[in-house]
Amino acid sequence: MKTQRAADITAGCLVALIGIFVLSASTWISEAGVHRLSPRTFPYVVGCLLLLCGAGLALKTWSLRGEDPAIAWPDREGVRTIVVSLVSLAGYIALMNPLGLPLSTFLYLTFAIWYLNRSRWWMALTIGLITGGISYVLFIRLLGLSFPAGFLFEG
Amino acid sequence: MGFSFDYLLQGFATALTFQNLFWALVGCFIGTLVGVLPGIGPVSGIAILLPLTTVLPPTSAIIMMAAIYYGAMYGGSTTAIVVNIPGEASSVPTAIDGYEMAKQGKAGPALAISAISSFVAGTLSVIALTFFAPMLAEFAVVFGPPEYFALMFMGLSLVISLSGRALLKGLISMALGLGAALIGQDPLTGAARLTFGTVTLNAGVDFISVIVGLFAISEVMINVEQRITAISELEISNWMPTWADIKQCGWTMIRATGVGFFLGLLPGCAPSVTTFVAYDLEKRLSKHPERFGKGAIEGVAAPEAANNATSTSGFIPLFAFGLPTAPSMAVLLGGLMMYGLQPGPMLFQQNPQFVWAVIASMYIGNVMLLILNLPLVGMWAKICKIPFYILGPMIVFCAMVGTYSIRFQPFDVWVMLLFGVLGYFMRKLGFPVAPMVLASVLAQMLETALGQSLLISQGSPLIFFTRPISAVFMALALLSIGRGIWAQVRAKAPEIALEDPD
Repeated sequence: MKTQRAADITAGCLVALIGIFVLSASTWISEAGVHRLSPRTFPYVVGCLLLLCGAGLALKTWSLRGEDPAIAWPDREGVRTIVVSLVSLAGYIALMNPLGLPLSTFLYLTFAIWYLNRSRWWMALTIGLITGGISYVLFIRLLGLSFPAGFLFEG
Repeated sequence: MGFSFDYLLQGFATALTFQNLFWALVGCFIGTLVGVLPGIGPVSGIAILLPLTTVLPPTSAIIMMAAIYYGAMYGGSTTAIVVNIPGEASSVPTAIDGYEMAKQGKAGPALAISAISSFVAGTLSVIALTFFAPMLAEFAVVFGPPEYFALMFMGLSLVISLSGRALLKGLISMALGLGAALIGQDPLTGAARLTFGTVTLNAGVDFISVIVGLFAISEVMINVEQRITAISELEISNWMPTWADIKQCGWTMIRATGVGFFLGLLPGCAPSVTTFVAYDLEKRLSKHPERFGKGAIEGVAAPEAANNATSTSGFIPLFAFGLPTAPSMAVLLGGLMMYGLQPGPMLFQQNPQFVWAVIASMYIGNVMLLILNLPLVGMWAKICKIPFYILGPMIVFCAMVGTYSIRFQPFDVWVMLLFGVLGYFMRKLGFPVAPMVLASVLAQMLETALGQSLLISQGSPLIFFTRPISAVFMALALLSIGRGIWAQVRAKAPEIALEDPD
């Protein structure tokens, strides 16, 4: 998928496959009574749209010749940074319930800021600490929103 | 609901008392904060504060609640423009051009034009509310399910223009948005759809997770990949828009106010729909539609004006019939009833001092919001200059708080992450993301209105063409679709999205 043409053909085929999947999943939905809009109608429409547009995109791109620009994919370092950022976000989400908002926020921000700017760990630590504290005071204590406080602040 | 200058003057006399002015100011300030902060939208902002207002007299309490509501509409654009986080669906069109302006070092003018158009739309709408309320309230009543379906269908046809030269990609994006919105229970029968037997999916996918993922998370990924040092590396030369900018947006503001105001009278027609309609209208009328999506100042003015006009016109069905047109209006209705005030035609006869004081306070509130917001433009715009290694993780934190607070379930945040990754690939491959947002917002309303219409017509789709208002909307939608397909067939060019992926 280095060029736009290859990417569009691949994406079109993938979307068409998703369309087939949605169409087949729609057959499992239970039916409604007479004169009622069936719960299957919209999923069928979506499945058909995905199948037709996906196939259409692949075919249209395949049939067109001419300039084929390259897609600006990231270099190896860029891929690594994105993957680490996404994994740290996934960790943040996974730790939210067991550790609570303040502590998971502190851990996430400290790590993410340090990772994106390796030189100033103390700044990452300070921002993480302040934001974690503010998140507790503002969202949990003052506004009373139902965020998990975590074992440090419960009881 | 008759208009009387005496009542209006009495309303101003009540609204201008020190106590009411003070609570209006508090409401405007809290509302702006609610709009800017992640995790608390106007609905939860008003709901949280409702019990606290029991110590206030009813008029002061409702003045404050209304000020929070339209204050939040002002503040909501800030995060959309500065960091590309549209906290509400209504801020999505603002983010499209506003964030582009911010990247070009024009965050100040974008924020200022947003405040000015909000003020203009708010004021024009309050004037219309004052003088034409009885007539306009009747307009809202003639809308039945077929008219709603036709209106939503017309809204969905905006995908054609939002897709630019990438019609197939736009349609795929729209279908994916519709598909995401269909996951969960069918709104009419309660049947589980596309849940694959999992309980978590039964609750459905909330469109806020979709929006935040597509915009904020994918933006962070793009910026992280490119190792940018700040959102705007350009020097900010002007904090305020030039007179030429304001003049350029003059008619835009008026047109968008009209769109937002009239559509806002309809229950269920939220700012999330009217802002897209206003944005699309401006793009179609513009002499340079190619500038839209790349930092056109009218692209900020139009949705912001429509947003505020819709918020104001929602008070007409609320006061006249007790009909809340949006979730925030439902909370306000609860507030009115808490004080023993029953909205409906009798409200104007039994409590004219109250109603006219609230209307008068809206004039004052709009001026207060402009005065509050314009000096803060510089402060908000400076966010663009914060080093990205700090701002990026902070954006993720805000996105996390905002999506987690939808239902306080990690599921919504996982959905946000998933759509963030999807948004990244869509941008890389040149798929427009706006159609997906539009479809995910409209899907449920569209399906409900279609189901109800078919029940009325006993299954005949002709109902959409035999009722005059729905026939007009359907004709406009079909014309728009036909025009888009014709343009595609003629072009024979590769699919290129209008929104620049970078």
